[in-house]
Amino acid sequence: MSGDAPVDPRGPRFSAWITTAILAVVLLTGSWRLLAAQTVLFGMCAFISLKLNPWGHVYRFAVQPRISPTSEREEAAPLRFAQGVGFVFALMGTIGYATGLTALGVVATSGALVAALLNAALGLCLGCELFLLLRRHAPALARPR
Amino acid sequence: MTGVWALLGAVAVVAVIGVVLRVQNGRIRTGRVGTDLPEPVRALLDPATPVTLVQISTTFCAPCRHTRALLEDLAGRTDGLRHVELDVTDRPEVAAGLGVLRTPTTLALDASGTELLRVGGVPERDALLAALRPHLPGPIG
Repeated sequence: MSGDAPVDPRGPRFSAWITTAILAVVLLTGSWRLLAAQTVLFGMCAFISLKLNPWGHVYRFAVQPRISPTSEREEAAPLRFAQGVGFVFALMGTIGYATGLTALGVVATSGALVAALLNAALGLCLGCELFLLLRRHAPALARPR
Repeated sequence: MTGVWALLGAVAVVAVIGVVLRVQNGRIRTGRVGTDLPEPVRALLDPATPVTLVQISTTFCAPCRHTRALLEDLAGRTDGLRHVELDVTDRPEVAAGLGVLRTPTTLALDASGTELLRVGGVPERDALLAALRPHLPGPIG
């Protein structure tokens, strides 16, 4: 895992709102293709680099210049971990919708939506705070990197 | 139709989690007694300091940074109080031994390693200081 530089914490909040909207559309339409695209996005951010997040670029070019600057910075490691959690949920959801296991699709997508909305609305990364709990019960998910 | 209910359900779950965490955050609980302190934690104690705040953190924890800044500042201004941070990302057995599931969790330990109290989440400065006051010497800054 290569190290990303710390980021303006408002960028990930902005991205989380868009992710929330995408996941809400998935729930309403049941489109596995849209969820598959979101899964790829989660995967790229988690396993390659946060710089691949297109909403981050939208934030930098369209939003950041219009709001007052902040010296606050957030470490990249928790953000990438959160994207990894999103990846797992979205992947399960895609498999569910694509294979006709709609119940799995709905449950997994709802899980991802809860995580994204918590992040967007409350600035809270549940997976990060409960990392120790996840690690104890799902060691494969929270492997040390 | 299922999707609509799932969406409403997810929003409700977020609201409940938000309220629960807001209530829980910074709450001071009494320390656990009668359990052995894991060795990596015992190694952080200083016999000459009345109270050591041991902050349990992981690499993936954003509020840990805020907690560190707050506690470092508090310890710097308060006689007889130290702050140390223990990263348990690769040592979950230490966290398990302490009964810690969420980070940050801060333990206040006296010089002999007895747990005075613990705080989950980002502590509230004044409430924490008030709870520690009986264990600290002299005036508090």
